[in-house]
Amino acid sequence: MTNRIAALDAGTYYHHRSLYEDRYRGFFDRIVYAPELTQSALDDIDVLIVSCRTDPAVLVPQGEAIRSLLGQGKTVVAMGSTGAQQWLPAVQWTDLPTNFWWWKEGGTLGLEVQSPDHALFGHIGLEDATWHYHGQYAPPQGAQSLIGVTGEGSVFYEDRVTTPGCMLVTALDPMYHHGSYFMPATTRFLDGFLPYLKETHRLA
Amino acid sequence: MARALFLKPIKGAGGDLPSIMGFVRNADEIDHYALHDTDLTPYAALMLPAHLDQRYFGTLTERVSDWLDAGGTLVFNGHVAWPMLPEFQPFMALEKRSLENLQIHRITDHPVFDGVDMKDLTYRRGVAGFYARGCNPPPAGAVPLLGVGPAHVPCDWVYDRPQGGRIFMHAGNDLWMYAGDKTTAHRIVPQLMDWALGAAA
Repeated sequence: MTNRIAALDAGTYYHHRSLYEDRYRGFFDRIVYAPELTQSALDDIDVLIVSCRTDPAVLVPQGEAIRSLLGQGKTVVAMGSTGAQQWLPAVQWTDLPTNFWWWKEGGTLGLEVQSPDHALFGHIGLEDATWHYHGQYAPPQGAQSLIGVTGEGSVFYEDRVTTPGCMLVTALDPMYHHGSYFMPATTRFLDGFLPYLKETHRLA
Repeated sequence: MARALFLKPIKGAGGDLPSIMGFVRNADEIDHYALHDTDLTPYAALMLPAHLDQRYFGTLTERVSDWLDAGGTLVFNGHVAWPMLPEFQPFMALEKRSLENLQIHRITDHPVFDGVDMKDLTYRRGVAGFYARGCNPPPAGAVPLLGVGPAHVPCDWVYDRPQGGRIFMHAGNDLWMYAGDKTTAHRIVPQLMDWALGAAA
């Protein structure tokens, strides 16, 4: 039994490459043009991926449709730079200056796996989620941070307590960089994360 | 005085897409999805960001073509993925993205890149590959400006349309990302504005 996945396409070149090209196309049972989300039937869909950098101005008016999926016990994945705090419940986000250059400066990004037993880590390792992040989340009580910054906030968490469904909320923006032919870690992230969602992710 | 129109994509994406408005004069900025409601006739130039919703922009082909026919200058950043204008062809990525293949070369002198050292485009803090990783193939009659790799794949070109108007193509991140840059690349934004608004024509 595999999960049926819909992904939003915001019309950008990097969504085109990430969603429609052969490498990942088979993971998506439906690709929905983001401004037309509410006109789309998602009854047979288990997981909705809100692709990174979809304009929150497009998502906010459709928040009710997205949240209703959670009410049905389905999963919503909010990728980075989509303003998830504006259209998902209990999301607390802090914008932070982005350190694009930690790897040139001899430092680290400070990320750590915070739930090593989570099934996601059968598909990706920390190095596949390590490029940069644009801010951090404070997951609500009872939610589980998967990847976070040591002693600080989360950049990827799972919330199965706020709604009857499951929210996977991340600050990471892999489609943008994979779709720009940039940063191999982002391709490795999608190589693992999409099979996880398809085959391993447990619905609420 | 001629003015340029910038589109602002993805609000709420954090601080990594700062507005260009502090760096340019004679320019206005609108929400990208407001374009269909905006009268283009007062504008000499339309500046499209790499984060453009190309499916949305592709619904405005006729209006944009008419505005170009009347003498407009269109500046496009990013990779062409969806049908937008008849002059555009889908992005072709370099097959091998080695250091040599990512070097930026000047092909034709142009006021936008006057005084810009190609090394400052090839490298950003010593790292190659930010500027371009392929090209949006130019139409016949376009003038290649910059090329990437030993084959000088034309990542930047300019096209004087026979019907009127000009298209300036850059197959990479927004050129205005270099606003206020510490290298010679800082020359691009003011020179692009001067050229697009006609001062250098």
